[in-house]
Amino acid sequence: MFKTEEMEINLGPQHPSTHGVLRVKLHLDGETVTRCVPMIGYLHRGVEKICEDKTFFQGQVWTDRTDYVAAISNNLGWVEGVEKLFGITTPRRAHYIRTMLTELNRITSHLLWLGTHALDIGAMTVFLYAFREREEVLSIFEAFCGARLTTTAFRIGGLREDIPPGFEKQVRAFQARFLDCIEEYETLLTENRIWKKRTIGVAPLNAEDAIALGVTGPVLRAAGSSYDIRKAFPYAAYAEMDFDVPTQTAGDTYARYLVRLAEMRQSHRIVNQCLDGLPEGPVMAKLPKVLKSEVNEVYHAIEAPKGELGYYFIGEKGSQSPYRMHIRAPSFINLQALPKMTEGRLLADVIAAIGTLDVVLGEVDR
Amino acid sequence: MMPTLTQYLVISLLQIVVVLGFVMTLVPLLTFAERKVIAYVQVRLGATRVAGGLWGAQQGRLHQSRTVTGGLNGLMWFLGRVPVFSILRGLPMFIADALKLLTKEDIVPASADKAVFVLSPALALVAAFTVFAAISFAPGALFVFPKAVPFLGGLPFNGFLTDLNVGLLFILGIASVGVYGIVLGAWASNSKYPLLGGLRSAAQIVSYEVPLTLSLLVPVVLTGSLNFNEMSTRMATDVPANGMVAIGRTLIMFVGFFVYTTCGFAETNRTPFDLAEAETELVAGFHTEYTGMKFSFFFLAEYSSMITVSALASAFFLGGHHLLPFGIQGFVHLSGWWGGPHIIFFLFKIFTLLFVFLWVRATLPRYRYDQLMNVGWKFLIPYTLIMFVIAALLRYAA
Repeated sequence: MFKTEEMEINLGPQHPSTHGVLRVKLHLDGETVTRCVPMIGYLHRGVEKICEDKTFFQGQVWTDRTDYVAAISNNLGWVEGVEKLFGITTPRRAHYIRTMLTELNRITSHLLWLGTHALDIGAMTVFLYAFREREEVLSIFEAFCGARLTTTAFRIGGLREDIPPGFEKQVRAFQARFLDCIEEYETLLTENRIWKKRTIGVAPLNAEDAIALGVTGPVLRAAGSSYDIRKAFPYAAYAEMDFDVPTQTAGDTYARYLVRLAEMRQSHRIVNQCLDGLPEGPVMAKLPKVLKSEVNEVYHAIEAPKGELGYYFIGEKGSQSPYRMHIRAPSFINLQALPKMTEGRLLADVIAAIGTLDVVLGEVDR
Repeated sequence: MMPTLTQYLVISLLQIVVVLGFVMTLVPLLTFAERKVIAYVQVRLGATRVAGGLWGAQQGRLHQSRTVTGGLNGLMWFLGRVPVFSILRGLPMFIADALKLLTKEDIVPASADKAVFVLSPALALVAAFTVFAAISFAPGALFVFPKAVPFLGGLPFNGFLTDLNVGLLFILGIASVGVYGIVLGAWASNSKYPLLGGLRSAAQIVSYEVPLTLSLLVPVVLTGSLNFNEMSTRMATDVPANGMVAIGRTLIMFVGFFVYTTCGFAETNRTPFDLAEAETELVAGFHTEYTGMKFSFFFLAEYSSMITVSALASAFFLGGHHLLPFGIQGFVHLSGWWGGPHIIFFLFKIFTLLFVFLWVRATLPRYRYDQLMNVGWKFLIPYTLIMFVIAALLRYAA
């Protein structure tokens, strides 16, 4: 007499908490998710193909627009990859400044994640607190390179300009305040009963599955692995920095929250070390007028805020552009863990899972 | 002096106008207050400054008199410089908000059930407003019309509309009609997100109705009445002869207050129980397809039920029309002004509770659907049942 059927519902592409244009096709039995299919491609611009027609200098501009909340990390991956391809040695001072800015960028990226993730779970105040600090860091970027979001901060071979006067003071002012700000977020969330209920045991992913799915970054470290490229294959000035890799073992949303908060504290430490130990010297290597690549391949990976960000270049003899370029985008690969994390759970957990994976659709679709 | 029927009708009409006017003014002011309270908590810049602070001053000068809102801004800037009026900072935002709701296009989705779709916001709002018929703002007459007033001279103007002997039952009954507005509206929208929101809402409100009513049974048992005035006065001032019973009574009112307020938060769909309209999961929940004034009807209904919940909590647990909460008033005799202006005490308590509503919204995350049900069925219902039994024992002991 009665007929029951599963409801198919489209979460997105226009939905307040899919963080851009992610569309997730959900099959719901009541509020329980029986099937979850992420549908991507709404923001595809063909960045990898476009870069084949751009010179190595022009291509960097496109990396700003993949993971647009961590543009400086992308810039770093690109310029270091290209430097590896041509065997360019970058001055030590440039490495230090790059490291400092990349870590500040990690802070902004994690702040944006914290704010939106908390907002998804209903804690709206953290969102505005996080953005207050993020604004301050963006002003630091603005002081350095004139742009706040799409920075194109570095140049192949070093930096375009040294840090401006007053820059150090600005960064130190932020550094002095920031640890207290993290405390403030923690008072609102860490021991909050509802927050714990909403995150502990939610959207779990164990280390085995995470590695099998290629998941990297804080999501992997929250599951117990301590894989961090900054330690495993140091680049920029990380070999000279003293920092810890925070890990958790639970592999749930709460563990990822703790890992990311701890990472912000570590980034804070690294920035301080960069400021204190900033070496004197030039910030730009001597480059030939025109870069010409021999045929060779390079894969260069860095630890972006979201995970392993790799740039894969194939050079072409006599050409100023890559023959083929591929981005190993952490958001794209982490996103495939979503069905694993959400199937058999509740609709509200899908929202928490999307938030905790911290995907940026510009990077997923490219 | 007993009023004649005509006199009675005229006075009642006047009272209805006053009470409804009061609620209709308070609800928009509450949205204004919400905007400002949350802005202060969350360091938002606009709502605490627009046309009032320094920024507002510049804005006001720039746009002075060029447009309607610009002119308004200019006026507000001028007022905002006077310290007393600085409380009005952010008012232009609120006015713009109201204008926006009034002028938005009224969309009825093509596949919606039109009659139900149009009726349900009205149902929600009417239910939310009708409740005030049984709420008493002061136990007696607010004032007596002077002899000089023609037709009504010598008659009292009461602080309540009706002195129903089943007042509380009436309030609970009418308030639960409100959920039909939500469920029917959601169903009539013929859309998936509202459907989920409506189902959540129905389950939530039906579940929380039980502990809410059970917690209100405590004052009913203790006073043996359902009359709003009698209950609130006796809850505030009765002192049982047995000292232990008197202390137990105060304690149970104290606990009952928190339990009732928690249920009230769920009943009004407010954070941390705002699952029905969980914007990050269900877009906007049951009112996703509603626009303009139809949407604002739901909005007004939610805010006016916040006032109702605050009024009931103040009346039955916080000493109602008397100064001291939790029945403490009975132990001490207050004279003069402290025993006097009932309506002021009552409104003060309502406003304080409303502030708590806003404060909680800015602080807490949202429960998940199954957790909400757990809190309701496994925690609140057993708790309220125990409270009910204790209340019955206290009554028996007294």
